[in-house]
Amino acid sequence: MTPLAYHEPESLDRALRLLADIEGARCIAGGQTLVAMLNAGLVEPPALVSLARIAELATIARGPGGALRIGATVTHEAVTESDDVARNFPLIAQAARAIAHPAIRSFGTIGGAVAHGDPNADYPAALVASDAVIEIASGGRRRSVPAGEFFRDYLTTALEPGEIVVAVVIPAPPVGARGLYLKFARVDGDYATLSVAALLARKDGACTHLAVALGSAGSVPVRDRNAEKKRIGKKLDDAAIAELGAALAARCDPVDDVRGSSAYRRGLVPGLVAKTLKILSA
Amino acid sequence: MQVELNVNGEQASLMLDARQTLLDALRVQLGLTGTKLGCNQGVCGACTVLIDGKPARSCLVLAAGCGGRKIVTIEGIADGAKSSAVQQAFIETGAVQCGYCTPGMILTAEALLRKRKRPGLDEIREAMSGNLCRCSGYAKIIDAVKLASERVPA
Repeated sequence: MTPLAYHEPESLDRALRLLADIEGARCIAGGQTLVAMLNAGLVEPPALVSLARIAELATIARGPGGALRIGATVTHEAVTESDDVARNFPLIAQAARAIAHPAIRSFGTIGGAVAHGDPNADYPAALVASDAVIEIASGGRRRSVPAGEFFRDYLTTALEPGEIVVAVVIPAPPVGARGLYLKFARVDGDYATLSVAALLARKDGACTHLAVALGSAGSVPVRDRNAEKKRIGKKLDDAAIAELGAALAARCDPVDDVRGSSAYRRGLVPGLVAKTLKILSA
Repeated sequence: MQVELNVNGEQASLMLDARQTLLDALRVQLGLTGTKLGCNQGVCGACTVLIDGKPARSCLVLAAGCGGRKIVTIEGIADGAKSSAVQQAFIETGAVQCGYCTPGMILTAEALLRKRKRPGLDEIREAMSGNLCRCSGYAKIIDAVKLASERVPA
């Protein structure tokens, strides 16, 4: 085996330059997925560029319009411990809290979870339901991609070679919105068999905002914006909830694996969507 | 590559391959074999250590990234010949069967009790849920953590 080069730059510019200069170099943040892949021999990069010592990637801050900007190397633990996130972005806090176990949450990062693009992970559905935007940088340019377009396929994202995720920006939820991340899993800390991420705001009983995304329901988070739009200005009664659940079930394409068959997961959709929306509208 | 590790309060300068996990460096270079290799995928928790006071899967952390961080392993939590409160509670409740998961269990419990002085039973169960015991001796392990938590000065 050729030795693996390891770099720990202290600035983002230096990290991006290293990633541009070394062909096949991978960046590493918390390592909770990448090191497991290295251990299993699934990846053999010539060099690793650690993002762990780049201070500007490790901050949570509010930006224009009250949007929450979470730096790429912010750990799941840090997100769960932020009072601002808990109070004002409960959907994000709950998704972070649902990820694996304390030892994983103290190292795993939001940037890593997003860049890995695993539709069975907890953040992707929560970010799609929150209309989050992924900030991306490479040596030459910066760009932003909505979460709904960032996740392209199983473990496949909009990231191009040399690009890294630098932050995730979550717009302030609409006034009066409530958020919930409901995860159905075999045991605590496992990947979801199915998960539902939802944001709901109502005025005088009528929906003013509705977003529902499913995790572990296909190669990317599943959302039906047309079905959501139909509810705006109307009440969210049992029939409407059932219609939305049916629309999402028809749209999802889950895998068959040890956590459940495809048919079983699809069968869970209407019930878990209904449970989520009933809690949010209670 | 050369890496300076601080393990159980002692400084060590190691020649490592950047591919080496902290688990591997602890066991092979430093001979600290109390930290166990289970799945090598972050699932079982047998390799749990503390890094800067936080519980960590040492199989999912590259040793190369641990320069300047404080690492505590099972060999470093007793106070000389006196067992730590968690170790003592594991002994008294008989929370050890084959013993393979025990170091990881103890470090995970240690991390919990450093963060939460009086965790409830549900909190203990949740915190320990990432550590697998293939003897399935969970009931006594939970009892041990509960007992240790009651002895930690408030």
